[in-house]
Amino acid sequence: MASTPADAASVPGARPGRRRRIAARTRLDFWFDTVLLLGYTLAYSYGFTGIGIHEWLGLGLGLALLFHLTLHWDWVIRTTRKLASPRGHDKLIWLVNLALLGGMTLCVLSGILISRVALPYLGIELTQIGPFWSTLHTTTAEITLGLVPVHVALRWRWLVRIGRRLLARRPR
Amino acid sequence: MKFLRHLAAAALVVAVVVVAGLTWGHFAGGLPPGLGRPIDVPVHQGEITLSPGARPGHGRPPPGVHIIGPGPGGGENLGLDSMFQSVNLPVLRNTVEIEAAVTAGAVLLEIAHRRWRRARRATRPRPLGPGRSPRQARHRAR
Repeated sequence: MASTPADAASVPGARPGRRRRIAARTRLDFWFDTVLLLGYTLAYSYGFTGIGIHEWLGLGLGLALLFHLTLHWDWVIRTTRKLASPRGHDKLIWLVNLALLGGMTLCVLSGILISRVALPYLGIELTQIGPFWSTLHTTTAEITLGLVPVHVALRWRWLVRIGRRLLARRPR
Repeated sequence: MKFLRHLAAAALVVAVVVVAGLTWGHFAGGLPPGLGRPIDVPVHQGEITLSPGARPGHGRPPPGVHIIGPGPGGGENLGLDSMFQSVNLPVLRNTVEIEAAVTAGAVLLEIAHRRWRRARRATRPRPLGPGRSPRQARHRAR
């Protein structure tokens, strides 16, 4: 979602007048980001899922976010190089994404450190984990709850365009 | 190969944040003001949900209140029976409402900002004609 996605790349040789096919990479971006958003919403709703699902989902989200960052690494490099240019929109997205990276990473890290189900299940017992980490976990979770919707909203045109095309019924 | 290179770079950035976080945690013996205070315990429909890392106070909970989190006897009540129960749906609804509200606000701001930029560009005079820089205009004038 962070990148200017491989937007609706058409298949070479497609007949004019027919609906262009959406590139596999664009489809992957769209569906993976949708699953990430749903996963994040569930993981944040701790009182709904219970601690077991909350922790395992959080661990999964950590890995998924690393994959998400990897998929959009080209965008990270391109936008970081262009930071000196006067265009403001990409700069704002870059700043939001940087804050989100920090917030999410610290949230997952603190979640791992205060884990009561997932880590003991894996045979790892951490002792002397102070209140700092649980407070950090709560604080970063609240920060990310504010940033994730902004991250989504800054790409709403792309989401709506691709979503419409993906979800539109194909004529038989 | 390219994917692996990107994965390594992304993992490196994440590792930097992790190390920074661990260093912060290591040196945060004296917590900054505001951090380290008791964690608020939200109550949802007669159910007290302890945040990760939080502990319930002494004494028995009031009748009809179910605590999700560490049990009073030292044993862990993992709240596994709370998973996906309809009584806990307000928690999920609350999250979705916050996300929807922030998304809507950000989208509206983005639309307003774009319109303002377009309007400003439209009112600006364009003496050189479209696509011509001052340098090109000078060159043609010669």
